[in-house]
Amino acid sequence: MASRIIRDLPFNRVEGDLEVSIEVSDGRITDAWSAGTLYRGFENMMKGRGPLDGLVMTPRICGICSTTHLTAAARALDAIAGLTPPDNAVRVRNVALMVEHMQSDVRQSVLMYMADFAHEAYRAHPLHAEALGRYAPAAGSSAIDAIRETKRLIEVIGLLGGQWPHSSFMVPGGIAFAPSLANVLQCRQIVGAFRAWYERRVLGCSIERWAAVGDGAALDAWLAERSEHRDGEVGFLLRFGRAAGLDAIGGGPGAFLSYGAFDLPRETAVAAAGGRLLAAGFASGTTIRPFDAGLVAEDVSHAWYRDHGALHPADGETAPYASGQAGRAYSWIKAPRYDGQVIETGPLAEAVVDGRPLFVDLVGAGRSSALVRQLARLTRPALLLPAVDAWLGELLSTHGAPIVAGEGHVPDGEGAGLVEAARGALGHWVRIADGRIAGYQIITPTAWNGSPRDAQGRRGAWEEAMIGIAVADPENPVEAGHVIRSFDPCLVCAVHAVRRRS
Amino acid sequence: MDACIICIGNRRSKMDDFGPRVYERLAAAPLPAGIRLVDGGLAGLDLLRYLESCSRAVFVDAVDGFAGPGELVVLSAAEVADQCIGGYDHGAGLPYLLRVLPRVLDVPVPVVTLVGHEGSADEQAVRIAARLATLIAGREDKDVR
Repeated sequence: MASRIIRDLPFNRVEGDLEVSIEVSDGRITDAWSAGTLYRGFENMMKGRGPLDGLVMTPRICGICSTTHLTAAARALDAIAGLTPPDNAVRVRNVALMVEHMQSDVRQSVLMYMADFAHEAYRAHPLHAEALGRYAPAAGSSAIDAIRETKRLIEVIGLLGGQWPHSSFMVPGGIAFAPSLANVLQCRQIVGAFRAWYERRVLGCSIERWAAVGDGAALDAWLAERSEHRDGEVGFLLRFGRAAGLDAIGGGPGAFLSYGAFDLPRETAVAAAGGRLLAAGFASGTTIRPFDAGLVAEDVSHAWYRDHGALHPADGETAPYASGQAGRAYSWIKAPRYDGQVIETGPLAEAVVDGRPLFVDLVGAGRSSALVRQLARLTRPALLLPAVDAWLGELLSTHGAPIVAGEGHVPDGEGAGLVEAARGALGHWVRIADGRIAGYQIITPTAWNGSPRDAQGRRGAWEEAMIGIAVADPENPVEAGHVIRSFDPCLVCAVHAVRRRS
Repeated sequence: MDACIICIGNRRSKMDDFGPRVYERLAAAPLPAGIRLVDGGLAGLDLLRYLESCSRAVFVDAVDGFAGPGELVVLSAAEVADQCIGGYDHGAGLPYLLRVLPRVLDVPVPVVTLVGHEGSADEQAVRIAARLATLIAGREDKDVR
């Protein structure tokens, strides 16, 4: 059997601090290793600081999902202080987080994932010419459209939070100030314009029509129904992806985790079970169980950290230690596990755990794939937009209502802020002692999805998702790239110096 | 429209903290009338909105490969955009932003200049870059080199 290991694959949109190596035997991937090559150490920066510093420091972990880190940091302090934010604080927090998700979902799908459809490896694909016209880097019509139509979304965070970037408007028990009526009205205008474009160009139909797509057969019928459906970004994703075989690769570990997100205000027109728009839970296949935060643990057996066995993040540490581990440790990313299991997190996990019929049907039928994972991401705004619209309307009708509970004091204690980031489950575990941060552990979605092996030798989620993929050209394994990008790895937010191209 | 000085980078990374250090220096004293200061952080494409409200924009950032260690360099928008070699990614920075700029703005494209610094910077470099950025932002003549 011909076998070779290819190191540091040229994934040009996950480059930098992610290195992926694969072993290819007889044209198929037989093993994979994913390495995060950058030590961040935010956890250690936090120790000894004041309890509120996480609200300022941790949003700088990421330039794309900074509001998510702010939310997680604030929720951890809510928990420690025993505070429940008032309804209008919940609405503002939710809307800010949701617009960040929607911008990320569209940009990642069009500018990163579907950009691969314009790759020369697909020059023989019947839709390649159309893909080039849509997704050619910095020039394709869809690429330019996506930038134009998403550029104002983030302004909503600035209007609601008073500042963007580096917003820190969430405080223990709520938010720092109430946005003006004029600012809320402006937010509605921005979100309304985005919704109109999203329905016209991304879905090719109304959100209500998309919501009626309840299983795989209905998806096929929807695609055949109208040319607008086929010509939208969702329709093109399905048409190109199926013809390229993306619906048959990258199934993943078959276990899903969502922390849940978007608490419902006590009085709201938005309906959802369990008090949150997105349910929390763990799913093995499509069998859903309640989420138990006590079952989260971090394994560092194959990462460059001091190893005390798998630890719950509340008891965890981030102690870099690379000596004497040659050949075993290969990543700066730890290996989080849920009840000892490898899981995937992200929009597909949210959909399965939330019991959304289309994705439960697709996953239940054994059709989880890189394509289904991406479909979940590109269509997530269809779930979020009606709630955003409702909550902005409720902010107008309840203007002047309380926005914060308590007086901002954070006592000594422990708490966790668990939330769904654009890429999946994000947790901040915080311990305050003697008025200072004594412990701060963060598990990002990419740590869940891009982890190295654990002490039992089990691969991380996207390492496992690559096994068995047929690779046409080992020097340019675009198939593996599709699988990894369907998880939307987020590793390169740290350094942005303008580099002269070689 | 006014001018805008946008300092970008990551203050938690020694390799990329030049922009934030210049921001802190500029923020410590009043700027001339008509010049707005922005702490651009890692915002990337999301800085587009700032470029829609100014006629001149001066970015301040760390650079790599344009000059000798410790040197400052002034680059035009075209020179920076020319460094864009691919598509968008999580690390897409100024080159990608300036490459797509003419196609995604709803207003006339501002005159954009980059004040860059190569390698580790001392306080003198930060001071000079702050002064240089202010001078460029205040000039009518777009050819400042």
